[in-house]
Amino acid sequence: MSATKEVDAITVEIIRNGLIAVTEEMKTNLMRTAYNLIVYEALDFTVGLFTADGDTISIGLGLPMFIRGMSETVKAKLKHFAAEGIHEGDILVTNDGYITGSHLNHVTFTIPIFHEGKILAFGCCMAHWLDIGGSRGTVSTDIYSEGLQIPMLKYRKRGEINQDLIDFIRMNCRLPDFAMGDLRAQITSLATGERRFLELVNRYGRDDVLNSVAVIMDQTEAEARANTRTIPDGVYEAESFMDDDGLDVGKHVPIKVKVIVEGDEMTIDLSEVGAQVRGFFNSGIATGIACAQVAYKCIATPTNYPLNEGSFRSLKVIIPLGRVISAVRPAPLQNWMSFPQTVIDTIFKALAPAIPDRTIAAHHADLVIATLQGISPEGNFFVTHVGPVGGGWGAKSSEDGVSVTVCINDGDTHNTPTEQLEAKFPVLVDHYTLRTDSGGAGQYRGGLGADFAVEALCPMMLNTKIERKFCKPWGLYGGGDGDGNSMSMRTAGDWEDNPQNAKLIGKRMNKGDAFMIRSGGGGGFGDAKLRPADRVAHDVVEGYVSAEAAASDYGVVVDVKTGKIDEAATAQRRGKV
Amino acid sequence: MTANNEKRGLRIAVDIGGTFTDLAAFDENGEKLAFGKALSTHDALVDGIHDTLVGAGVDVKDAYLFLHGTTIGINTLLERTGAKTALLITRGFRDIYEIGRINRPDAYNLFFGKHDPLVKRSWRFEVEERMMADGSVRTELGEDKVRTLARDLKTRGVEAVAILLLHSYRNPTHEQRVEAIIREELPDVFVSSSHHLSQEYREFERVSTVAANAYIGPRVAKYLEELEEQLRVDQFKGDFYIVQSTGGLFPIEEARRECVRMLESGPAAGVIGAQAICAQLGLRDAIAFDMGGTTAKAGVISDGRPLTSSNALIGGYERALPIQVPMIDIFEVGTGGGSIARLAEGNALRVGPQSAGSMPGPACYGRGGTEPTVTDANLLLGRLDAEHFLGGAMKLDLAAAERAVTTVAEKLKLDPMTAAEGILRIAATAMSYAVKGVTTERGLDAGSFAMIVYGGAGPLHASAIAREIGIRRVLIPFSPGHFSAYGMLFSDLRRDYVRSCFQKLAIVPFETIEGLYGEMEDTGRQSLAQSAVKPEKVTIMRSADMRYIGQEHAVTVEIDSALFARQDRDAIKELFDAVHQQRYGTCAPKEKAEIVSLRVTVLGEVPKPPKIHLEAGGDAPSAKALRATKKVYFRESNGFTDTPVYIRTELRAGNKIDGPALIEEHASTTVLAPRDTMVVDAMGNLDIAIGGRT
Repeated sequence: MSATKEVDAITVEIIRNGLIAVTEEMKTNLMRTAYNLIVYEALDFTVGLFTADGDTISIGLGLPMFIRGMSETVKAKLKHFAAEGIHEGDILVTNDGYITGSHLNHVTFTIPIFHEGKILAFGCCMAHWLDIGGSRGTVSTDIYSEGLQIPMLKYRKRGEINQDLIDFIRMNCRLPDFAMGDLRAQITSLATGERRFLELVNRYGRDDVLNSVAVIMDQTEAEARANTRTIPDGVYEAESFMDDDGLDVGKHVPIKVKVIVEGDEMTIDLSEVGAQVRGFFNSGIATGIACAQVAYKCIATPTNYPLNEGSFRSLKVIIPLGRVISAVRPAPLQNWMSFPQTVIDTIFKALAPAIPDRTIAAHHADLVIATLQGISPEGNFFVTHVGPVGGGWGAKSSEDGVSVTVCINDGDTHNTPTEQLEAKFPVLVDHYTLRTDSGGAGQYRGGLGADFAVEALCPMMLNTKIERKFCKPWGLYGGGDGDGNSMSMRTAGDWEDNPQNAKLIGKRMNKGDAFMIRSGGGGGFGDAKLRPADRVAHDVVEGYVSAEAAASDYGVVVDVKTGKIDEAATAQRRGKV
Repeated sequence: MTANNEKRGLRIAVDIGGTFTDLAAFDENGEKLAFGKALSTHDALVDGIHDTLVGAGVDVKDAYLFLHGTTIGINTLLERTGAKTALLITRGFRDIYEIGRINRPDAYNLFFGKHDPLVKRSWRFEVEERMMADGSVRTELGEDKVRTLARDLKTRGVEAVAILLLHSYRNPTHEQRVEAIIREELPDVFVSSSHHLSQEYREFERVSTVAANAYIGPRVAKYLEELEEQLRVDQFKGDFYIVQSTGGLFPIEEARRECVRMLESGPAAGVIGAQAICAQLGLRDAIAFDMGGTTAKAGVISDGRPLTSSNALIGGYERALPIQVPMIDIFEVGTGGGSIARLAEGNALRVGPQSAGSMPGPACYGRGGTEPTVTDANLLLGRLDAEHFLGGAMKLDLAAAERAVTTVAEKLKLDPMTAAEGILRIAATAMSYAVKGVTTERGLDAGSFAMIVYGGAGPLHASAIAREIGIRRVLIPFSPGHFSAYGMLFSDLRRDYVRSCFQKLAIVPFETIEGLYGEMEDTGRQSLAQSAVKPEKVTIMRSADMRYIGQEHAVTVEIDSALFARQDRDAIKELFDAVHQQRYGTCAPKEKAEIVSLRVTVLGEVPKPPKIHLEAGGDAPSAKALRATKKVYFRESNGFTDTPVYIRTELRAGNKIDGPALIEEHASTTVLAPRDTMVVDAMGNLDIAIGGRT
């Protein structure tokens, strides 16, 4: 099936739009049919089309961090069953975390798309199931305690559903009906992808479609290379750290990255990222590669769609097995999405000297969510996520950071309306407010984080695994750090900060107790003394920056009521008269 | 000034759009239709209306009904020219309007953006109070503080106040009390509280809705007063109605208070016009397709009625401000004639999303544009005429269009005509994908629909887009350039109500449901009863937003009142299963369902203008209908082919024309591709069979 690439530019563009439409429809079908809010509101899923070799043709987001996991999963299945072992009417499944790179909740289904008896492409759909078994309320230390592991199996063989597998899954999930609802949604999505892709093939012909796919990848590669060429050659390094692995509290995990730019190619070397850890903050190598690919896409092809293999041909990733983002069995993976975000931030930090106008200061880099479970006053078992709360993003060389927005792991992910949360679960949201002064000071200010406080209306168990309390979102070019993420509890009247980290595992809450997720701000960019005084005054009047911080960090003395700047005091503080 | 239903006369509809103000008038005595068009005068919209009336030779003195749609609301929102607005909100929540839904759709773009609230933070004030989700009071309202705040707002020069309190959809008493205090203290200020506009949960969407209403309120109200005054001066003695985004009418007194309901009045009226054509022709399902210079929009008529949505996003997805009121579901499916064709890295040919707009406009406008656009491609291929554009009022520069297309064609090693044809094909397929995406999302098969096409650029592309979707029948209505105004003539009085209720279907007491429905229906009937125009018939439509327990997303299910009267839970459940099956291709009859919200539409049917009757002619158009024969490029003909050009105003009912052909009228040109056949129907629609009748 070698593509000759002999296809005209018009057909290529029509097919490009067509492929995007196919994966969008797969996505719509999944979202609208899914049973759990992690799929529907948090968009924790990814759908895509892949070549007969497993390379990405088009990904429908979904989860931006899952840029690599699906292609790797398709390739692994292809290797496992071999092309001859995959038949028309088959649907393949696995949730092997060391293949997908992520946790066991990510059940991934793949459908071979046959045309005239041969595999022409694959459709694939990953969705986060609300529950896959495993222990709760503890920090898991191996994969076996994290739930049911589904090896590479056939969910459907030549059109016949494998009922044994279904029964097996049902018995191993806390919420089997939800699981089956999500499974049905995933299968519907794959059927849609298969049907729509074949429609394109029938309309434009097999050769024109395959050739167009090849040309689209070349076009994307051309854009990636053109944008890499403008980065000065060099070796760029940066480091940061994670708070801890949830067990060895206080023991930081080092994150070191090296970026090598040479002509139109980039190498991202992640060899010196810390070794895999005992607690559940590891991820598989597909996610390690995804860290580099997400960062590279943000720099080289940020708005090029469909997201395809061509985006990454000019990127080389070096990552040995056994790092915290390339962990091997039996490392626990449940909180796989946490550390990689800081790895990406650190890559942007490394590139700051090379491309100040295209990089970004650090962001809050965490989902900032909590999990609650208990028995409601009506006697029903419930389990739910609270959040994502959203946090601050870093400033850039030309604009302030964005406040209270989902982290880089997430894309078109929404928070849950308080009115919905309170109608469904025995909780009361006390407040959801911007955190004054949480954004790093700078010529361009970092975005603000938020406080999200929730009171329990009956006894329940709280879990949070929030990172980045101590490694605060850094500024660039003299910009200040944002506040880190943190957790507070209110058990006897006053709010108390959890001093050791932002993780609370298996925390019992009584009726009337409350917790507060405090999401961090983004780092600032440039010297805060260079921020125009009237913009600082505006920030003070609006309450984004306190009058005290305006004076100490920005050197601007402002009357908080009137917004009037004390010119003399300001000039004195800013070192000029 | 109550209209008398027995003595009818002239009904006038005026639609103010971005570029033009359109008029359609129907005289019921003589059964005559009149149309008018004038440039919209942004600084003096009321004068523009006056000009249009004069131009069309229509006198409002003779009218009993004046129907109006306007862009003033949406423009005030998008251009940020609204009132100094304060927001009053539950303690602990003043930032939710700024925080929003925290999503980041542009996932790999580090320069992503977010919505910008209409009310800045220092003008958002917290009120001491708290309701629980079940409507019980957790914290009593701190009335004194509200009063103090109101006085403080007065000194700040506030012009509008928006009120949102948590769970007010369940229990609005605190909102009502705050509103009353503000009205006492600030009698001249525009006040809006959320439960009047939306009684549906989702606090961000509701706060955005009420803030938008307050923000645009004073300006819209002032405009409506000016227009009323002008009509008085012109001795209009009838009744004045505004078209809502549902396509239904509401009286001016309500329009002044709930301006946010009229944001999309023009596009909605177009869909109502398309619905009227469906009714006249006995069609159940159609796509209403509207393409102008800068956008292409589509609506869906399914089973005789337009699909509606309970929430719209205004101002582009990424930075959108949500408006949570019912409206016709109108979606953008592409850009318009100004879409630019450009080469990306690797010689990737893209059409749009950049648009040349009206300045500089397409290269052929001769205003300095050098990049090729969809309009340039149409000119180059002979589909537009350099001498007859806008009835000859604007000469087009063919050489400039060719130069522009050549810049792109050369790099692709294509001849300019192939490139131009490719640009149109890319634009048409992209629009077809968008239409198919939206219809499949709703479980509908667009291929089995008819397509009703209007707007200046619509008829040029209709054949190609329909072919891509698989649609076999296209109708170009009489006067596609005035279609929104025409559609307004068919609008009914309409009120919509929603109440969130969160109840399990299996156990909810029917008294609870009847109580909520009854309240909404009574309010609707009263509202209609106060209306000057007495509807012929009042229809009540009930529906419920339902989902399986545990599921997040709900679907709206239309439910016959009889099922509630019979207390037939099983039948309601089966109906829900069926809708779920249709919409999502799957359902779970064994799973239990819950009701999220109840909806009521109260429709007061107004007598419709009768059908237009176009004078009959023979099979062949008359000789004077044929303006010329020219070379037009069609891919199906492998290049340029002799193509007759007809003048639409000279066509008569029964005339048949086979493609390839062009049919020109003042503001648009219909393209019939080779093998298309067309017959002019008795009402003057061009009824096109794509690929010929089978």
